Amino acid sequence: MTARGFRLVLGAVLVGVIALAGLLAPWIAPHDPNASGAEVLSSSTAQHWLGTDDLGRDVFSRVLHGARISLVIGPAAALVAALIGVPFGLLAGYSRGRLNQFLVQVMDLFIALPNLVLALIITVMVGATLVNIVLVLGIVMWPEMARLVRGQVMSLRETLFIEAARAIGCRPFRVLGWHVWPNIMRIVAAQLAISVSAAIFTAASLGFLGLGLPPPAADWGSMVQSGFDYLTLNPLLSLAPGGAVALTVLGFYLLGRSVE
Amino acid sequence: MMGYALKRLAWVLPNIVVLTFLLFATTSGWLGSPAAMMLGTDASPAAIAELNRRFGFDDPILVQYLRWAGGALVGDFGRSFSTQQPVGAMIAPAFPVTIELALWAILLAGVSAIVLNSLVVARGAIGALSTGISIIGVTIPNFMLGATLITVFSVWLGWLPTTGWVPWAEGAGLHLKHLILPVLTLSAFYFGSFSMVYRAEYRAVERQLFVRVAAAKGLSESAVSFRHVMPSAVLPVVTYIGLTLGQLVGGAVVTETVFSIPGLGRLFVTAIGSYDYPTMLAVGSIILVGVMVTNLLADLALAAMNPQIRL
Repeated sequence: MTARGFRLVLGAVLVGVIALAGLLAPWIAPHDPNASGAEVLSSSTAQHWLGTDDLGRDVFSRVLHGARISLVIGPAAALVAALIGVPFGLLAGYSRGRLNQFLVQVMDLFIALPNLVLALIITVMVGATLVNIVLVLGIVMWPEMARLVRGQVMSLRETLFIEAARAIGCRPFRVLGWHVWPNIMRIVAAQLAISVSAAIFTAASLGFLGLGLPPPAADWGSMVQSGFDYLTLNPLLSLAPGGAVALTVLGFYLLGRSVE
Repeated sequence: MMGYALKRLAWVLPNIVVLTFLLFATTSGWLGSPAAMMLGTDASPAAIAELNRRFGFDDPILVQYLRWAGGALVGDFGRSFSTQQPVGAMIAPAFPVTIELALWAILLAGVSAIVLNSLVVARGAIGALSTGISIIGVTIPNFMLGATLITVFSVWLGWLPTTGWVPWAEGAGLHLKHLILPVLTLSAFYFGSFSMVYRAEYRAVERQLFVRVAAAKGLSESAVSFRHVMPSAVLPVVTYIGLTLGQLVGGAVVTETVFSIPGLGRLFVTAIGSYDYPTMLAVGSIILVGVMVTNLLADLALAAMNPQIRL
């Protein structure tokens, strides 16, 4: 198998398993994710495969339910990033002169800024709700998408068929929508998968730093953080949700990298 | 070159002003009145009005910003809401800690990525392994890697301390021992991305004529790799460091929190957690301005080496 095929298969398997886990969580989870039990901080037993957290909740069930949160936040944030980044990139790639220069400089400025730090500042001001986190992540991630689209448009702009379209009198909107867009769709889709992985990564980091969804939501990042005080007692409290984040991020990343 | 530098500067300086102004306006307006914050919820309106007048919280936001920025330029960021100390005095000891952590991480990631990939580039199974490690490096979250390393090396094996920070002055050995896990954690992402950038460049250089000449005249494979290809392929990695500093800062914020390292990142997270907005504003601005200035320097270095960019 080629390296690309391998990435595609491994990525699809990882994303598939995690999606199934999230989808079926209410049926396959052995316990209610938010029900506290008397057994606090137990290690793995037949009843609690991964043990219980400091409130006596079953960690395995919470990790399963956490997949639902990540699989909503990731794709939604990537979509927001694409909705801003793609039009911006199309315009920045197709325009010339002063407008082009301005758009490129704005893009370069935002690309340089640290995503996580910006997301922290904005989230703490607007409050960590599901919708806010999605919007914040989309807003800090759009420049990557815009840069990619711009690069693609710039190389297409000089081709003969675009020149032909312009020559028969197509307006810029038609050229971009009918002639340029179909040619960059594949690469935008690949970047979308990478954006999903970046969004899940950043959302989990926010959760770890204390800005995840408010309790009792089974937010993977927050779970890692609350398990950190008990690493000596039962490292799975942190490693299980952390591993789930790592595998989800890896899955979407591999999917994105299987298209060149 | 001078013209290009001035042009870049004329773009970056206004951006620094606009960004810090936005940061200032949003953070200071964010909790309502700072006076009410300082005096508590049951303060009398008269006391609040008095405090507002004394500290100038009633002035137009632009005036307040200019006052803050004037202070910031000389290192006066006001007082922290939670510790009542001057923010500048809290930042001063944290700054070198973060810089040291970041430098070690860049050094480790850079050297290991370049040496390893010069050895193994495109060689069957080892090449695939190195690709796999790079992909894991760029996708594994710092907190996950940190938690794993602590569990293995501190909890199970007991070789290294779990968390904390010991200054140089209290013993170099202890200092370095506390640094090993955080540096490994922070460098993983960089190892991965340096490897990807370096390998791509290496492949491009490898195809050039001078490399074929070096091989044809009978030099050993490693001599070709290290003496001829590497020096030409290493430049993009160096500029990449400057251009992706923002991500390193994000990683440092998480890593410092994982290992309880008293650097800027942890100061920032603590300030956010305790709604200490003068500290948050100060550290946030230092990070943003630092990243923008480093980017500018990387840009200028790149332009100095490659005249085409200046156009």
